[in-house]
Amino acid sequence: MTRMAQDHEPNDGSTDLELIARWKAGDERAATSLVARHAPALARFAISLGQRTDVDEVVQDTFVRAFGSLHSFRADSSLRTWLFTIERRLILDRRRSERRRRDDTSVDDTDAATEFDALDEIVAQESESRVRKAVDQLSRLQKEVFLLRVNEGLSYKEIAAVVGSTEGAARVHYHNAMRAVKESLYV
Amino acid sequence: MFDCADVEIRELLPDLAAGSLDDSTRARVEHHVASCAECASELETLRLVRSAYAATPRVDVQRIVAALPKATPLPDRVPGGQPLKRWIDWRVAAALTMISVGVLSLAVALHRSTETRPRDLAAAVASVDTQRAQPVTRAVTGGSPSSIHDTTRPVARSGRPASAPQPKAQLAFAGGTDDMDDASIKVLLGALDEMDRAPVAPSAEPDPTPVLPVIKTGQP
Repeated sequence: MTRMAQDHEPNDGSTDLELIARWKAGDERAATSLVARHAPALARFAISLGQRTDVDEVVQDTFVRAFGSLHSFRADSSLRTWLFTIERRLILDRRRSERRRRDDTSVDDTDAATEFDALDEIVAQESESRVRKAVDQLSRLQKEVFLLRVNEGLSYKEIAAVVGSTEGAARVHYHNAMRAVKESLYV
Repeated sequence: MFDCADVEIRELLPDLAAGSLDDSTRARVEHHVASCAECASELETLRLVRSAYAATPRVDVQRIVAALPKATPLPDRVPGGQPLKRWIDWRVAAALTMISVGVLSLAVALHRSTETRPRDLAAAVASVDTQRAQPVTRAVTGGSPSSIHDTTRPVARSGRPASAPQPKAQLAFAGGTDDMDDASIKVLLGALDEMDRAPVAPSAEPDPTPVLPVIKTGQP
């Protein structure tokens, strides 16, 4: 095994499965540990999927939905992969709803522009802005695969589970995305 | 722009950027990157991407936790994985159902034996009375549930043809013998014995019914 567990977030020493078992037994602190451990990654992933507003809300909805069906979590994949899968479905559903709403009502771009500016403030350095733009030019699927691999350290197998694809297809998407980003940055 | 031909190393570059490789693998990949411009460039791109997306919006953990559903502890499980309490509950429910059905069946049977039988007998007696073509020669009608009726002619019964041989005597009880005292029962049994001993008198009638004795039952 060449990869070690990647964890950017706080770790109290317990595994996800141990925390889940403790939460099921009524330990509310275990839920806090699980949320603190995975919420930042979910927020990053939401942004990488183009979610510019209500990121906090999306993350919260993801956890609410996940904890509501935690008894069905079989640990075939990691908890984080499962959470990514739930969040991705949520975001796609929200987009469909917004698209339908946009068909019915006029679009108010003011809020989105404000959020986008606020997000840009986070990315202060120019090189990072260029990278963002390069990544934003990828197709939605390429972008999802690329950022799950680079930012979250998921394996191709885990990525395939999240995006509903195959391991081989995920690998191809990643390499195509990498080539496109490099061309955008250096050519 | 070219890609390195060492696919295995390229596959590990994201993990090197994330710092998630074990020591020996990390040393091997770093050794390759030191001498490969394509992989060095790709590693730099990966680090830029990670840096660009490292900033994470503040997430209110406590607010999220407060919105979570409350944990509902599952029932204890037996080693085989079956929910123990549910299994016990199922067996208890099945046993209770069987007991209930048994008790109910017994109650219905008792109810029928104590109520429907006298009613049927009373109906049969009424049927005899209405079909009687000749006057009753002797009868005992004390008004009690143990009243004895006798008839002097054949009685047509359902399922039995009128020309079929009839019993020598017919006794109808509008109830059981539970409320008869010992003396009355004795008298009744004696009368029955007399009926058995008495010869059947020839008659012009095809199947005459013998005369029954009158029995006082102590009723007013």
